[in-house]
Order: sequence, then structure tokens, then C-alpha cells
Amino acid sequence: MAKLRIVHYINQFFAQIGGEEMADYKPELREGCIGPGLAFNQAFGEDAEIVATVICGDSYFNENLDEAKATVLEMIKSQNPDLFIAGPAFNAGRYGVACGTITAAVKSELGIPCLTAMYEENPGADMFKNQVYIVPTKNSAVGMRDAVKKMVPLALKLAHGEEIGASCVEHYMPNGIRKNFFEKKRGSARAVDMLLAKMAGKPFTTEFPMPDFDRVTPNPAVKDMAHATIALVTSGGIVPKGNPDHIESSSASKYGEYDLEGVMDLTADTYETAHGGYDPVYANQDADRVLPVDVMRDLEREGVIGKLHRYFYTTVGNGTAVKNAKRYASEFAQELLKANVNAVILTST
Amino acid sequence: MEIIVTNNPRVRDAYSANHEIHFISGDFSCVLIAARDLIHKGFRLLTHPLSGSVKPNETPFKSILLCSGSGIDLPSLSMIENALDACRKFPIKYPEMPDAMRDDFSLIDYTLFSSAI
Amino acid sequence: MKLEVGYIDIRDICFADSSRLEDGVLYLDKNALSEIVLEDKNISKVEFEIAKPGDSIRITPVKDVIEPRVKVEGPGGIFPGVISKVTTVGSGKTHVLRGSAIVTTGKIVGFQEGIIDMSGPGADYTPFSKTLNLVVNMTPVEGLAQHEHEHANRMAGLRIAAYVGELGKNAVPDETRVYETPSIKEGLEKYPDLPRVAYIEMLQSQGLMHDTYVYGVDAKRTLSTIITPTELMDGAIISGNCVSACDKNTTYHHLNNPVVHDLLEKHGKELNFVGIIITNENVYLADKERSSDWTAKLAEFLSLDGAIISQEGFGNPDTDLIMNCKKVEAKGIPTCIITDEYAGRDGSSQSLADADASATAVVTGGNANELITLPKLDKVIGDLSVVDRIAGGFNGNMAEDGSITVELQAITGATNEMGFNKLSAR
Repeated sequence: MAKLRIVHYINQFFAQIGGEEMADYKPELREGCIGPGLAFNQAFGEDAEIVATVICGDSYFNENLDEAKATVLEMIKSQNPDLFIAGPAFNAGRYGVACGTITAAVKSELGIPCLTAMYEENPGADMFKNQVYIVPTKNSAVGMRDAVKKMVPLALKLAHGEEIGASCVEHYMPNGIRKNFFEKKRGSARAVDMLLAKMAGKPFTTEFPMPDFDRVTPNPAVKDMAHATIALVTSGGIVPKGNPDHIESSSASKYGEYDLEGVMDLTADTYETAHGGYDPVYANQDADRVLPVDVMRDLEREGVIGKLHRYFYTTVGNGTAVKNAKRYASEFAQELLKANVNAVILTST
Repeated sequence: MEIIVTNNPRVRDAYSANHEIHFISGDFSCVLIAARDLIHKGFRLLTHPLSGSVKPNETPFKSILLCSGSGIDLPSLSMIENALDACRKFPIKYPEMPDAMRDDFSLIDYTLFSSAI
Repeated sequence: MKLEVGYIDIRDICFADSSRLEDGVLYLDKNALSEIVLEDKNISKVEFEIAKPGDSIRITPVKDVIEPRVKVEGPGGIFPGVISKVTTVGSGKTHVLRGSAIVTTGKIVGFQEGIIDMSGPGADYTPFSKTLNLVVNMTPVEGLAQHEHEHANRMAGLRIAAYVGELGKNAVPDETRVYETPSIKEGLEKYPDLPRVAYIEMLQSQGLMHDTYVYGVDAKRTLSTIITPTELMDGAIISGNCVSACDKNTTYHHLNNPVVHDLLEKHGKELNFVGIIITNENVYLADKERSSDWTAKLAEFLSLDGAIISQEGFGNPDTDLIMNCKKVEAKGIPTCIITDEYAGRDGSSQSLADADASATAVVTGGNANELITLPKLDKVIGDLSVVDRIAGGFNGNMAEDGSITVELQAITGATNEMGFNKLSAR
């Protein structure tokens, strides 16, 4: 059988071009393998080999995202590979995001089997682990050998279209897809071991992490609603008709600020939702169902509230990384503070 | 005030004499949604919306007991939303089923519900 | 409380003119067995079959699985309050016909439960493909109501198990083990430095076909209470739960409770196994609050340093599991919970119907929605026509070659929440 053709993506540092001072390095395609690629080629042996390496500076990639992505993707496509590997990025944040972005694009746009690897706390991990296979690594290049050892068998399985088993068996980061497998010990014995560790304060790994509870302590109640300024904020994607800022239907990369001056009611002709992943019919028919401007105007008129804040803030919650959502909120929260808003009504889909 | 939300005629017939019944002509999820709407209006769950190990939408029947309260009961709200989530995981299994089988599902729902009354 | 358990390894099982146990071979007289089942006038017909590991046999719909045991010395008899008098059991001497099992089948309602494949890929998922099984296939008299039918079926299985167990009364055990739980005071004196651990066992208790009995008492009418490990070994808890095949605890599971055995394994070495708190899984929410309050109260009363909590069933019990976990943890007692998952066929849905941040240590028996294709087997005991009406089966799931595709939830014991199996998920 012919060797599988692999394209490998690495940054300027691992290509031995330079460190931070060379982070603006533009995408470049080179034949054969470079740097960490050697370790991959050795491990793949007769099964596969890196036919080309794409190099891109981390700053360049992240600051020119759309353009860099398109160029890199074109370079990968030109090699007609059977498999694509990015990284490992270890704990390099921008490199990790680049590896995740490119791997996700290769998967969705080129449909080529692909994977990447990085440290679990690399921001790229949280952003992309549910989209592509990411092998967890140590936090520095010390973990190269171990990373290659885990990536190679998974890469070959992916390239051959074999079924991928549970994350702990195939060594990828848990991606929200639960897969069955047989453990070495029965469940009750595992429970006894886990409890002994937990009682002794020793580390243990739960087999099912509870959903993340990001609980926020509520602020004290607003005492004087009749004179309060209330703002509306939504992750339900309500935007003026036509979505002027092109907020994405999922994994939104931005939020919008829109003026409600003189708007008494949201109608099918004036507003819509940009949100994917749920049936938008009812939101599009009457966007007040998600962003209740009409009711707020009633309350304003009835004197229940002082007034509705002039601007509303909106983004799409669908698949949007928690980190990004937090960043959006911390930005417009400052605006709300400046405008002396007393309370915010947050709505989702 | 207590209210029974059900789409099971057997439960309706057995309890209509001395209970308020909100009878739903619809599937399993319609009962959950009706119960959720009541919770939005201040009702509180008295029985678990996922009673029974027969899976949602495997059995077409569901009966839930609620009582009125003041203000929204958050544990009830989270329980009913979790039940709706769980319900969505299971497609309707028997769009058509023999009468005898329908009767068995009705009986199971009735006995599970009665165990709580 | 001290119980000596003599394990008699059963090597083979066959029908014969007279029932006896010789050299590890069980000889069973069908006529005698029939008489025992037909004592109950609600059963019109019974058939017996033998299914051995490796046989090309599929048993369905399975109601209960029971291990034959007999009380040899000491107070009480097997299945107290149900088959024997209600005397407290768990001390003296008991014989176990290890490696054998009684499997009851019968069509109680139109939708059905439970597949045991004795060979093929399905066999890997059920513990009862590894036992020598006497299958009892019962037909009720016409017009028998479902709850009477369930009762007749359950009781017949227990009577047969007691009868078969009795055959081992005078046999010489292949292995003898002594299980002992000290009293609170003895335990404190004997193991002052070991962490005090209890097992919190949740019992299915929602209603018809969803019940468990403790010394004959319907568990939904009980308050959380304390029971000792050896009482379970004498059949103090039996299953009347016929729904959700993959994560129901059969009587066999109660007799061989894996949490009990694995805690006993470390008892006196790494931990002090204080006892078992049993608690129910009722439908009425106030019952849940009361039962979980009592569980936490008993956990505190026993001065526990830790507890393992096991579950039975889907949906409603998730709430009890989380309540128990949360309230015990709130007393400062670390827990580890055992559950299974309904994450959808593709594994991407939320696994449990309830959750809490305090459940930091979870053991899972796997995703019950995952699909498995079971090839055609030569012989079906029971009724395959109901497979598409089995929980976990679906319309049109039988292929032309006779293979069937079902969710794991159709297989008896596949994702057991006592941790009986090695199956897990990530």
C-alpha cells in the first residue's frame, strides 16, 4: 500500500525561523518535513509520510485570520493530502488557536482527516476540542515524544476511516461525545478506588464530569424600579433585519450594539434572529419574543420602570466559546455602567 | 390547589371526581410543556415528570401532579426543563401501536401516578 | 453479624428423572419444577429450557435473574419475608450454587424488556451469558391482570430458585468465605484509624413493574434504613422491577451486590465498611426529600468518612441520586456515585436528567443509547416478535439476515448502576 500523504502545519518557532520577532511571518509552503515533522515521519514509518509543511507566524495568523486561513487552506489543498496534522502547540496560546482554526477548517471545508495537539489549558483547546480531535500534551516541547506517540495511532485510524473509540482509549481530549468501552476493573471496584482517593485528598478522575456550573451571585435587588434605567441584552441573536454586522449564526466572533430610539415594537419587517441551531420561525415572526421591547415600552408607559436604555446588545449564544462571551460582556458592561444603567434583563433563545 | 396534568384517559377518569384535571390531547412532550407553562404561572411539581423507567416517547402517556404556589418555584422549573431535554433524546417509538399495548402503557402510567397520590 | 458462604461451583446443568446435585452437575426434574410453578393457579403453562455459555441462544423478554442459594445453618431462610419466614437473616451458613442462575421470562405487558444472548457480541454486555441458566418461560391464565401476572411471575422464579438452591444443602463447597460486619462499637475499637465507609443503595420503588422488596416490604413504603451486607447475601432484597433492562438490578445483582463485595474486599485493610443504607426512589417529590434527608441523617449518625451511592433506573432516580449525593456531601462526607448514561445514540446529549456540582466523583456504566447489532442466533427462548417493542429496540430494527439492531438498554444488566460490569464511557 502506498504511503499516506500528510501535510503538517507548524509555526515560525518550530520551523526554526525565529521567535516572537518573526511572528509576523507569512504563510509558506515547503516540501517535506521540518522540525517536529521528523519525529512524526519516524513514527509513521512505512504507513505515512509528511509530503509538505505549511509554516505561518503566530501573530500573522491571528491578526489576519480570514486571509491567513484562506491561504493556508489553499496550500494544504494543493498537496492533495490523505491526512492533516497541526502542531503540537503545547502551551503556546496563539499557536494553539491557529492549529485549532486550521484543523477545523480542513475538516469542514476540505473534508480531510485531521487532528492537532496541545496542552489542555491552551485557549485553543477549549475553543476547538468539540470540533476536532485534539490530543492533550504536556505544557512544553518536552512532551514532544509522548505527543507523537499518541497522535500517530489516532491519525492512522482517522486516515483509514476507522471508528474512533472513547477519548481515554484513543487519547484525545473529551469532546462531548460519549463513547462506550470496557474498563479493566468493574464499576464497583472503580468506585471504591475513587472514593478512597477522594477521602484521602489524592487526585482522581471522575468518569463523568458534571456539566459546568458557572454560578453568578445575583446583585442586590433594585429598590426603586420606577426611576431605574433598564437595558436589554440577549444571546438570542436578535438583530435589525438584514443582520448589518453579519453576526455569525454559531460561534459568534462579535456582538452588536443597536439603537432602540423610537422603536416601540419589533416586527417581522424590522428585526430578525441571526441565531442558528433553533427553529427561528417564532423569533423572526415577532422578535419581541426574544427581546421584549414591546413589553418594556408598556412598563415604561405605565411607570413601572424609569426607562428602557437606548441601546441593546446582542450576540449569538450557539456554540460561542464561554471565553468570548465573557469578553463581549465585560466590554459592553462598561458601556452600560457609563450610561448609568441600573439593571439588565438578559434573554437567551 | 392541586392539579393533574395528563394525557392518559385512565388517570383522568379515575381522578376527575375529586381532582382538578388539565387533560392534554397530545403526546408525552405536550404534557411536559403544559406542566412547564403552569410552573411559569407559579405552580410547583409534586411528582417527578420522568416517573417510570419506561422512556419518554416510548410510552405515549404522562401524568404529573402540581400544586399552586406563590412565585416561580425554581427547582420545579429546572426539573421540568431537564425532563424536556431528556424527552427530546427519545424519538416517538410507536407512532401506531396495538390497542392492548396502548392500554398497558396507560396502566403503567396510572399505577406510577397512583403510587404518589 | 457473621455469615459463612460456601460456594459450590456448578459445572453443568441438565434435565433428568430426579432433581439432584452431583459433582457440580445440576440434574433437574422438569415435572417437579412444573409442579412448583403451577402451584399458582394464575399460571396456565410453563416451559423449561437450559441455556449455557456459548450456546447460540437468545433469551427474551427477561423478567428476573436469580441465583439459587440455601440456608444451611443459622436463623431464617432464603428470601425472608417472601419465600421464608420474616426472620432476620445474614448469619450462620449459606450455600451458593455458583455459576448457575434461574432466568424468568414472560410477556406481562405489550412492550417488553430484556435480552440475554448466550454467544456473539451481545454476550459481552450481559453477565448472564456466563452463567448456566435454567430458563422458566411462563404463560398466565387468560385475562390475568398485569400486576397479578407480575406477582405470579416473580414468586414462581423465587420458588424455583429456592427449590434448586435446596439441592445444594448437603454439598461440599468448593470455596468457603466468611463475611463479617462488626457492630459500631467493635468497628471503632478494631479499626480506629481506618476511614468509615458506608454503601448507600438506592432501590427502584415507583410502582407496578418498578418495585423492590425488602424482607417482603414494598420499598416505596419504607423509610431509609440500615441493613448489613450479609443480609443481602441471604436474599433480604429482591427485585420486582421489570423495566429498563440495562440498568435494573435483578435479584441476582442484589444477592451478589458488587459494591458490597468490593468494599468487603478492602474492609479492615484500607477502610472500615460500616454498613448499608437503603433508600427508595419514589415518584412523589416530598418522598424524595424525606428519603434523601434520612439518608444524609443516617450517614452523619454513622460518623461516616465516605460513601458510595448506587442507583437503579433512568430519569426519576437521577433526581434521588443527586439529592442523596448533595445532602451527604453537605454533611462533609465525600461520596462517589455510580450511574449510567442516556447520551443519545450519537453520544452527544446530556447524559443525566439531573446534575449537581457536588457530584465530583462519578463512575458510569456506559451510554445505554449506544446501538449494537446482534446477529441471528439459532434458538430463541421466549418471544422474538416483541423485540421491536423492547425498550431500546425500535420499529424496523430487524434486518433480512435476522440480525437485530437495538440500543444497549435492551440488554439485561448491560449498564448496571451497581458497577457490576466493566463497561464504561468517556
